[in-house]
Amino acid sequence: MPPYQLNEPLRLFVELSYTLIVVFLCFRIFYKTEEIYDLTKYEGVKYFRITFLFFGLAFLFRFLSVFVLLMGITFDLDISMYLFRIFPLVFNGYFSTMAILSLTYSMIWKEFEMKHVLIVSNAIAIIISGIAFFSRSYNLIIDAQAVLLIFTIIAVYKYSISKRISQIFILYVLFILFWIVNLLTLGPQRFVPFEIQTIFQIISIAVIGIIYLKVSKWTK
Amino acid sequence: MDKVKRKRDRLEMIYDILNIIRNHQNSIKPTPLLRHSNLSSQSFTEYLNELLEKDLIKEITDENERKFLTLTDKGFKYLEKYKLILGFIEEFEL
Repeated sequence: MPPYQLNEPLRLFVELSYTLIVVFLCFRIFYKTEEIYDLTKYEGVKYFRITFLFFGLAFLFRFLSVFVLLMGITFDLDISMYLFRIFPLVFNGYFSTMAILSLTYSMIWKEFEMKHVLIVSNAIAIIISGIAFFSRSYNLIIDAQAVLLIFTIIAVYKYSISKRISQIFILYVLFILFWIVNLLTLGPQRFVPFEIQTIFQIISIAVIGIIYLKVSKWTK
Repeated sequence: MDKVKRKRDRLEMIYDILNIIRNHQNSIKPTPLLRHSNLSSQSFTEYLNELLEKDLIKEITDENERKFLTLTDKGFKYLEKYKLILGFIEEFEL
């Protein structure tokens, strides 16, 4: 086999397209809400914005992991484990944990005001990515984020203004859920077949697309 | 729920103050602004400092050394976008 022939070119193409679309939409949401934040310096808007900045970065590092995984298989390269496998894992864990915590806080801050929230969030994210670094496994990040998702649902239900599961909240939960499903494909065993994963990715694009359209409506 | 209302009112209060300034040909002295805003003197000072800090208003002094408050471009933008800002915050439950 020539060294540059990919074993799974379709998977790489799907992953690249998916990443580009999601990262583009996440960064657009961050950029589009800049003016509202600049005018108001409103806490909720601040955490909403950084959620999508962190998610965008997390998706970039996730793609890096997928890329290395696929290239590693194809070329059978002896790539430095630390440089190409562990660092994306650590950054992935850090950015996605920060994103989930920021999103949760953006919805509950009015009722649950907390001092030094960024320091606390950073500490949690660093601990999770630190343990992932030492365990060298995505499993811990997946477990931790599943727990964070449950925490988010409970916290928002208890502390949000509406005290109900709203349409926007369902979109957030779905987006985080699909993010976690996407992480499953990076573990040592692939729990989710490629076709099913692609369907999840399409739904995930639809979810972030709806969020983006809702943002666009108010940021003309 | 009071805390929530207070935080939402803050955006509204800023809107009201900026609107008063705009309705006075974009130039008003602090004392009449305090009167029109229906705020306590302490709250008014807090809001005034916040608006100056956020660069939504600025202080100008005329040739007789009298101080006036006037909207900045950012202040006009806030008034123009206020409904969109509220809509955004409500839509995303922020």
